[in-house]
This record gives sequence, C-alpha cells and structure tokens, in this order.
Amino acid sequence: MDFFDNIVRLLTTEKYMDMIYQGLETTLTVSIFAAILGLLIGTVVAIVGISGNSKWMLLPKLICKIYVTVIRGTPMALQLFIMAYAIFAIRGFPQEITAIVAFGINSGAYVSESIRAGILSVDIGQTEAGRALGLSGATTMIRIVIPQAIKNVIPAIGNELIALIKETSIVSMIGMYDLTQAAKIIGSGTNMASYIVPMSVAACFYLAIVYILTFGIKFIEKRLRAGDKR
Amino acid sequence: MISVKKVTKKFGKLTVLRGVDCEIKKGEQVAIIGPSGSGKSTLLRCMNLLEIPSGGEVWLEESLISAPDPYLHPEIIKESSTYKTLTKNGAEDACELIVNERKLKRYEGLGFSGALKSYTAEHGIGINSARQKMGMVFQHFNLFNNMTVIQNLTLAPVQLKLKTKEEAEAKAMELLRRIGLEDKRDEYPSKLSGGQKQRVAIIRALAMDPDVILFDEPTSALDPEMVGEVLDLMKSLAKEGMTMVIVTHEMGFAREVADRVLFIDEGVIKEEGPPSEIFDNPKNPRLKDFLSKVL
Repeated sequence: MDFFDNIVRLLTTEKYMDMIYQGLETTLTVSIFAAILGLLIGTVVAIVGISGNSKWMLLPKLICKIYVTVIRGTPMALQLFIMAYAIFAIRGFPQEITAIVAFGINSGAYVSESIRAGILSVDIGQTEAGRALGLSGATTMIRIVIPQAIKNVIPAIGNELIALIKETSIVSMIGMYDLTQAAKIIGSGTNMASYIVPMSVAACFYLAIVYILTFGIKFIEKRLRAGDKR
Repeated sequence: MISVKKVTKKFGKLTVLRGVDCEIKKGEQVAIIGPSGSGKSTLLRCMNLLEIPSGGEVWLEESLISAPDPYLHPEIIKESSTYKTLTKNGAEDACELIVNERKLKRYEGLGFSGALKSYTAEHGIGINSARQKMGMVFQHFNLFNNMTVIQNLTLAPVQLKLKTKEEAEAKAMELLRRIGLEDKRDEYPSKLSGGQKQRVAIIRALAMDPDVILFDEPTSALDPEMVGEVLDLMKSLAKEGMTMVIVTHEMGFAREVADRVLFIDEGVIKEEGPPSEIFDNPKNPRLKDFLSKVL
C-alpha cells in the first residue's frame, strides 16, 4: 500500500500541492490563450481559403496554404524551439507568451482545416438561396452558412482543444514549469524519490480537465442540434 | 423585362450554352423545356447570375447585370489594340472579323478597358440590387435550415432594409395565410413536408415583392402527391400576372400556364412559341423526339 500512502502524502503536503497548482496554472494559461489564438487564426485562414479566386485573394490564399502545409508538416516541439530560441530569443521575454504564440499558430493550422470542412459541409444551395434574395456574400456567410457550419465544426474543434491541452506538456522542453514538469520535479530524488506517484496525480489532473471539456462540448453540441431532425 | 443576349456558358471544356437569345416580357409566363443536360437550368441561373455567363449579356429592364460583352459593342471593339493593328494593316471589316473569329485578347490596351468600364458605369447595376427584384425558387427548396419559417420569410426584406421588421412580419403572415400555413410560422423547415417547404420557398421569393420569379424545376424533388399543391400556387401567381420563368418537366403544367414555351437542346433554343404550337405542332425533329418520349 506504499503507492496509496504516497498519494495521500503528496495530496496533503502543501509544498507538493503548491508545485502542482503552479504547474497547472501554466498548463491552463497556455492552453486557454493558445486555443483562443488558434480559433482566431483558424477562422481567418479558413475564410481566406474558401473565398473566391479574385486576383486580390491570390496572395493571401497562397500564404495561408503555405502556413497550413508548413505547420502541419513539421513537429510541434521543433516549432516551439524555433519560437523560443530563434524568434523570441530575447532575454527576459515571458515564456508563457512564447508558448501561447507557438501553440496558437500550431493549433490555428488544424482548426482552419476543421472550419473549412465545416463551412463546405453546408449545402451550396443555402448560399445560393441567400445570394438569390440579394443578400451580400458576407451577410449570407454570417447569417446563414456559419450558424449551420458551427454545429458540424464543434466535434472537430473539441478534438483539437483536447489535443492542444495535452500537447502543452512539451513546454518543459524549453524550461517552462507546467503540470508535467511539476510532477517530474516532485518525483525527483530531492523530493519524493518516486516518479509513479506524482505522474499518476498529474495524469488525473489532465484527465479531469479533458473530461470537463468533453462534457462541455457535448452540452454545447446538444443545444445547437435542438432544431435538427437527428 | 429580362433580356438574354448571346449568352454562352462553359464549364471548363464543356460548353453548356452556345449563344442563347431570349426576351422575357413583363407579365409573361415562360416555360423552358428540354432534355436533361440541355442547359435549361443553366440558362435560368444565368438570368440572375448564379452562373456567371462566359459570354453575352443579361439585362434587367434597362440595366446591365452581367459584365458587358465587348463582342456585342462595335464601339468598344474599336478601342481595342487588335482592331487598331488590323485597320492599320489595311483590313476593311476589322470589326466584323474580330467578332466572327473572336479575336480579342485578354489585354487590349487602356482605351479598351476604359471603354468597358465606362459602359458598365453607365448601364450596369449591382448584382445584389438586381437580385432583389428577381425571386428564385429552387428544385431543392433551399429554405434556411437554421431559421424558422417566419425568419426565412423576413430575413432578406429586413436585412436589405426594404421593410421594417413589423412590416416584413405582417407581409409574411399574409403570405402564410394565403398558402394556409400560418400555424407553421415558428416551425423549422425540417418539420415541413416537401410540398410545404416549396410553397414557403415560393412565398419567401414573394416577400421581396419581386418583378419576376425564376423557378428551377420546382416540382422535381417532390413526392407525386405534393406536386399539385405547388403547381396550384404557381397557377394562382400566373393568374395574378406575375412574370414567371419556369424550367419544368411538367408538360401539362407548361401547356396550361405558359404563354410561351422555349425548347432548349444542346445549349441553344431550338424552337419557341405558344404552347399550342410547341406541343401540338412541333417542327424541330429534336423537339418531336423529345415530346414523344415525355408525353
């Protein structure tokens, strides 16, 4: 019963719990702001991607295409290193911002593909009906297409958010103190001298966050689908 | 009301319309018939620019709604560098030559672009304001799934500031009463039958007080027992003198309602005339063949 004793010891020792909470704070801060940044970037890139082929859109479209290809084609850890050691390699630059930007940019590439697929999943007839009534392309998009696309996009976005939260555990690679890093330090020889216990606790925290998020997404989805047949 | 001038439409290598000329007059009901793939829906969709014509022009009343087609305007062709080169080299009918051989290049000099621009400025109106006057009814209804019936009916008039919310709702209720669906005002389209959906789609077009309504195979996606209710509504519109252009497979309906029937095949109007002529005394062999299959 050594394992459970140690769990109790960890949960009741203020020092260890402070370390866990401090790590949790970093994990949540990076996840939340990166998710918001990712959604913003993803929406813009998706709308640029599906816009018509007028000559003014060619360059933005090309840039978005390159962005999605490069970000999806290179490892997240590498992107984080480039952000930390090349782009924001400034003494005293807050690491949280480095991480938020790196994860936001990464998430945006995936989110943009989900949103693009969501918008394309809305029947073209809906757009045609809006335009045939004399509504502008923007009004049709905002009032008719996007409200229908959101329902289709939410499960994919939820997936992406879950992946993002777990992926932030690699911020320890640039020396940040997140939940995973906290568990590692608590487990080291100078502290509990047992990795399995703090790692299990950290795992439970990740699980709890993801579970709450999943629940929230299901709830939103259910509300949005209230008017549907299925 | 609507003038279609030498309209062509290509999808990649496929040519769907090969120069269609037609004129829809005010208060007229025109049926467009033809085998599938003949271009009849494409022609209808070119009228409100849901398909952008590859060539030719579409006019609504006195306003150009498509891009101007230089081949229809000798005075614009005369500004082109091709014309100038040809005349300098001694060609006599340079203009005719250019039109016949479609010789205009992508870029024909500033004078030419300027002439096109000023022509558009003089005669053109924005497509969105043109579409406000041209209702459209689709084969698959295309009611807005995220909105209730009443929202479907009031969205465009209110958004486009043609009516206040109250006026739009009053008009919508009046139209709903007309089709006997006032109890469905707060239902979503998914709760309506096909026939009900299509009738709501028709009054959605009417809620804009259009000058003309385009119908794209309005009964093709309906169960047979629902076709009648939609056709009845269309007949009553016809009786009120609404200008209607109807792409249809319902030959009986075309014969009864239309003032004029256009038979389209292979991207051109092969024959046109009053229904009695078209159905009882067809001259074009393709039309005879078509009628023998569908009647």
